[in-house]
Amino acid sequence: MVPTPRRARAARQLTARQLTGRARTGLLAALLLASPVLIGVIYAGLASVGLAGVGARGLTGLPWLRVFADPGTWAGVGWTLWVAAASTTLATAGAMALAVAFRGSGRLDGAARLLALLPLPIPHLVAGVGAVLILGQSGILARLAYQAGLVAVPAEMPALVSDPWGVGLILALTWKEIPFLSLVAFSILATRGTLLEEAARTLGAGPLATIRHVTLPVLWRGMLPAVVAVFTFVAGSWEVAVLLAPSDPLALPLQVMERHTDPALSRRGEAYVLVLVALALAALAVAVHERLRSRWEVLER
Amino acid sequence: MRWATARSRSEAPGAPPAGATRALRWVLFGVLFLTTLLPFGVLVVTSVARSWFWPDLLPPTVSGDAWTELLRGGGRLAPATATSLLLGLSTGALAVAMAFPAGRAMARLRGWRRHLAAGAAFLPVAAPPLAVGVGLQYSFLVAGLGGTLPGVLLAHLVPAAGYVSLFFLGVFAVHDDRLEVEARTLGATPAQALFHVTLPALRRPLLEGFVLGFLVSWAQVPLTLLVGQGVVPALPLEVLSYVQAGQDARAATGAILLVIPPLLVMGLAGFALRDRPVVVA
Repeated sequence: MVPTPRRARAARQLTARQLTGRARTGLLAALLLASPVLIGVIYAGLASVGLAGVGARGLTGLPWLRVFADPGTWAGVGWTLWVAAASTTLATAGAMALAVAFRGSGRLDGAARLLALLPLPIPHLVAGVGAVLILGQSGILARLAYQAGLVAVPAEMPALVSDPWGVGLILALTWKEIPFLSLVAFSILATRGTLLEEAARTLGAGPLATIRHVTLPVLWRGMLPAVVAVFTFVAGSWEVAVLLAPSDPLALPLQVMERHTDPALSRRGEAYVLVLVALALAALAVAVHERLRSRWEVLER
Repeated sequence: MRWATARSRSEAPGAPPAGATRALRWVLFGVLFLTTLLPFGVLVVTSVARSWFWPDLLPPTVSGDAWTELLRGGGRLAPATATSLLLGLSTGALAVAMAFPAGRAMARLRGWRRHLAAGAAFLPVAAPPLAVGVGLQYSFLVAGLGGTLPGVLLAHLVPAAGYVSLFFLGVFAVHDDRLEVEARTLGATPAQALFHVTLPALRRPLLEGFVLGFLVSWAQVPLTLLVGQGVVPALPLEVLSYVQAGQDARAATGAILLVIPPLLVMGLAGFALRDRPVVVA
């Protein structure tokens, strides 16, 4: 089939028409992807004011009042934010240190990068199981402490699992999030760092000054969207918290599940209030993430 | 140390620094080595440990009971693994089928539409699965999907399609479609262009998208629990219940099973090392 000019023009026009058509379907596709969450939001909104769901008895603001009047809610929110902030900070610092230390092309660098990324595809639950076996009061760490003569019985070992500060949970989440943040950090340094750093060194900055004033700021700015994503993910993650978090204060995701499965049907409306709060926070994070990312894209051009 | 400073000053920024920092690098590597691998080692030992009581550092006797039980198909791990594999493979395939056209259509958008679309696709990824599960549970129950395998599959598809769509959005943002346009110019139908040009050219991203969808489903806990009503026995749920019951050997065996496919994928395809923006955080 010979492409005559007319045929070629027809094909081009067809493609152009198709392109606008697809551009319109682009928004529809995105809407389709988001629709389950939107349906969930609408349903949770109705159920939180007594208009839908099991135990619904007509319009009421009671679930909202009860959730926000309960000091346990606020304690749980504060505790969850603490754990998310601590583990995100630790993981970010760890990823930055790894990226700065092992960015080269040597064998040690390669091995370190492989190790740093290894837990990336591992389910969070596995990190939780590992933490229980290692950090629990009769876990590996406690046994090592016994061998070292530091403790005589498990009860003497400071609690690292289900402890009020969430140490075990923070460590497990840090372990699980370092790979993702390292991946981002390594790729930022591989693509963006070198030019600015060379300029700084040419202008007389020492290695430490270069790291402090050039490398780390470049890293931080590039990692920010990923850091926001990790914070959001960690704050909403349920399966690690259920293994490692204490019962008082009760972490936000655990509060949702507790109220959602409460035999007293009147309490289930409260779960929907918390779900709406969690989803609002997630939507906020999406907005922040998109904004940071687009700002960075502008810088890249 | 003047010499060392002078030397490191002359090095390229990417080169390993000399002198005292070398020791620091080895210390950091040692910490990384231990903290990364210790959990895996502990899981392996725990899975074959018998009467491993305080304060023994290593189990006094070793037994393959948990593993033979698994291989014989007894206990709850074997059927749960089969269920999880089925769920993961179907989720991966369906997620690609949805996300490929969605990502392509979204990549054609420009300006605010592009941001809106990316934000919308990001919503099921950013929303905690627990919140999505609680919000959707009633609708699934009403539709008769609660406690069924198709119901859990659909629930897994919510985050998976989001992840894979963002992945394909990234793929198509840099994909050159001139070959496809050329094929159309030469008279190929849209279907012919898709099957003979576009799909073969994107074989690798298609495989990676499938793997991403599989992994999202494979690790999923709250959605399986809420929509599956505890009746659909996926592997992570069984592992969770074994840990909570203090059955460490079985829990560790299940946890190792959970680790195998992701590590295989990473080792074989180098998948996770390259595709930065959409890796499961």
